[in-house]
Amino acid sequence: MMMQKQPKPILLFNDECAVCRHIGHWVQRSAQSKSGATNIIVQPIGDDPERLRSLNPDLDIWDAYETIHVLMPDGSMKLGGEAVAEVLRDLPNTRWFAWSFATSIFGFRPFQVILNVAYAILADVRPLFGCESCGKPIVLRPIQWVTKWVKTLFGGSPHPSPHFSSLSAARRRPLAISGKPLPQARAL
Amino acid sequence: MINETLDHPRETSLRPLSSDKIKTVTASTFPRLVLEAEGPIAVEFMSYGCAHCRAIEPVLEQVAEMVKPQERIFRVNIAVEQELAGSYQIEGTPTLIMFLNQNEVGRVEGPSPTVSSVLTAVTQPFESGAEAN
Repeated sequence: MMMQKQPKPILLFNDECAVCRHIGHWVQRSAQSKSGATNIIVQPIGDDPERLRSLNPDLDIWDAYETIHVLMPDGSMKLGGEAVAEVLRDLPNTRWFAWSFATSIFGFRPFQVILNVAYAILADVRPLFGCESCGKPIVLRPIQWVTKWVKTLFGGSPHPSPHFSSLSAARRRPLAISGKPLPQARAL
Repeated sequence: MINETLDHPRETSLRPLSSDKIKTVTASTFPRLVLEAEGPIAVEFMSYGCAHCRAIEPVLEQVAEMVKPQERIFRVNIAVEQELAGSYQIEGTPTLIMFLNQNEVGRVEGPSPTVSSVLTAVTQPFESGAEAN
């Protein structure tokens, strides 16, 4: 797979997540200088695994949705807190303090560690702020386990509930083959 | 949570790139590959942004290997194929729909991401159909 050469870092954001979408749009606005030039390209992850692989052959669409990715012009990728630090380094308004993330004391980068933890917490609580695709936050998992256990006690299904999409339960419209309508699907 | 810089291709300790064991069908290929095809077919309605779909993906790939060539498994990305998802009343992802001779014979919403659970989901509707015949 040929890799597309990008002159600037690319921030990929999950456009199915309201929190990520807001942050992505904020980065896009903040990255633009008065002349219209920008230091970082902001793109939604989208739905095409092949398009992502053309940006970087190591980029897997499932990984892209799980953790924030910044694709660097040299072909490397920054993930999680490292990606956030890279974005802050590229924005005119935040560049002044972003140097701190590279500060190392005997190989330990305290500000980067704080940023990593902050990102991990934000990533886990995104569903509380309206992420439509993040699943349930870790903090709610104990409640989920108890609910599941109680359900099982009373004979309910122990299976986890599916992720509910924003798709409305539209009335079924069976597809036609060669102009003939399909027989109605069997009720389960 | 992953916080790192990847300077080189992933090592084997990291999850490999998603393979193409499960082919994606679109609204245009769905009639030919699913409805007009012979034999049992399972279709996963999913979305790449869905955490549960991610959890089930490696399991489904494993199951796809186990059931072939008797049964084929496809995926439909509902973020792209919204009309197709709407026509099958998909309310959540992942949803597995089993088809046999143009008919829906089974449906499972949010199966547990274990091989036994997914294998049962994609094979049981056809076994019960065969018993009925």
